[in-house]
Amino acid sequence: MDDKNEIMLDLLCKQAVYGLTAEETKQLALLDTSGYDADSFEMTAAAIGQLDLKIERMPDHLFAKLMADADEHWAKNYSFDKAESDVCGTPQRKIIEIAETKTRGSFMDWFGWAVAAAACIALAVNIYSTRSQPLEIVKDNPTPTPTQVEKLDPQQQRLQLMNSPEVVKADFGKGNVKEMAEVSGDVVWSPEKQAGYMRLKGLPKNDTAKQTYQLWIFDSSQSEKTPIDGGTFDINSDGEVIVPIDAKLRAMTPAAFAVTIEKAGGVVVSDRGKIAALAAVKPNQS
Amino acid sequence: MAQAILKNIADGDKGAVQECLKTYGGLVWSLARRMLRNSDDAEDAVQEIFLDVWKNAARFDPAQSSETTFIAMIARRRLIDRIRFSQRRITTDSLEDVLAEPVDRSDKAMQISLEAGEAAKALESLRPEQRQVLNLSIVQGMSHQEISDATGMPLGTVKTHARRGILQAREFLGLGDSNSTKEVSV
Repeated sequence: MDDKNEIMLDLLCKQAVYGLTAEETKQLALLDTSGYDADSFEMTAAAIGQLDLKIERMPDHLFAKLMADADEHWAKNYSFDKAESDVCGTPQRKIIEIAETKTRGSFMDWFGWAVAAAACIALAVNIYSTRSQPLEIVKDNPTPTPTQVEKLDPQQQRLQLMNSPEVVKADFGKGNVKEMAEVSGDVVWSPEKQAGYMRLKGLPKNDTAKQTYQLWIFDSSQSEKTPIDGGTFDINSDGEVIVPIDAKLRAMTPAAFAVTIEKAGGVVVSDRGKIAALAAVKPNQS
Repeated sequence: MAQAILKNIADGDKGAVQECLKTYGGLVWSLARRMLRNSDDAEDAVQEIFLDVWKNAARFDPAQSSETTFIAMIARRRLIDRIRFSQRRITTDSLEDVLAEPVDRSDKAMQISLEAGEAAKALESLRPEQRQVLNLSIVQGMSHQEISDATGMPLGTVKTHARRGILQAREFLGLGDSNSTKEVSV
């Protein structure tokens, strides 16, 4: 092994174990490492580095920051096609007056702002999004059965949850979709149990191949730009349905719940262009 | 299915982001916490690391490693950079704890990735001095000099153990071309 190879091996090993100084990095860049699979040294260290690692759960607020970072990265690095730009300009995507909805003033302030700020960018980004979580489909049974608890039906579970202390309740009203002005219902959420149910009436059946309903929880722990994904659901029957909430992050102090209409499979970040139902938590409801 | 996450991200599928964070967020967060020993620094680092992950997802080769080890590699690069930049050094108070940490590893700790399990076997195959140096440097994040100070080994010996240890572990794991880097153990 010649001197150059020796130096290169030294540098590759040091890079993997301790990292290199700026000078060493330059030195390594000048050497031909093509025959050595330079990454394999760092991968060896990465494999060793996983030993004895106690995996801790990432804080929720950091998870939310990372989601926002991803939004920015995708917006910067993936171009939008014309169709998406056109959608941005359609009346459906414009901010719709939701003053009639019973909401707190502060919620209205930030919600309106968030819709305006996020609509076009988030919509375009969302075109590239698909949901990683499996679609939760409401079958013929109008009350979807949650997988977590099998003993009680959703209606019974909802009633049981309502008797828990410190539950948050709010009434659903219409959102910004004219055809869904008759939507009503309520939501109950237990911060302690991190479980909740929506009771909804007046939501039309959705074409599951094209669209899904998705719940968003606006929690004080999250930026208004990144509400907590409360899960997707479909409506395939008339009448009242009870839908279990599948929150992806901890929601301790929800301020509002919004049901949006999204593409099949749901989205990571909603453009909030079609809000089917909205429930704002009033002080005396929590 | 986990092996498809990085490919989906490389393909511009933003929906894979949430899955990636759920699957590997704990790994990256825990690595950052262990190496930086400061939650605020760790949060900043994790943000930088995942940005690197989005940018480098297309480089992932499933024939070379698992997604876990690929992401751990990206994480280590960024964490080492931060440590070098900040000149963070392990505190004297924690040094004794680090040196006293047991060599035994639970099965649970070894199951993070296939390579981690193999890495444990690789370490066991090394000479005790090499194993100690790699453990202190890679797992505990200590520098050459710190290891020398802590163990009493001459600096040159620490470097030699690190080099030989990583080369043999690499060969044990079947990474890279072993013929070009094989060394005689002394």
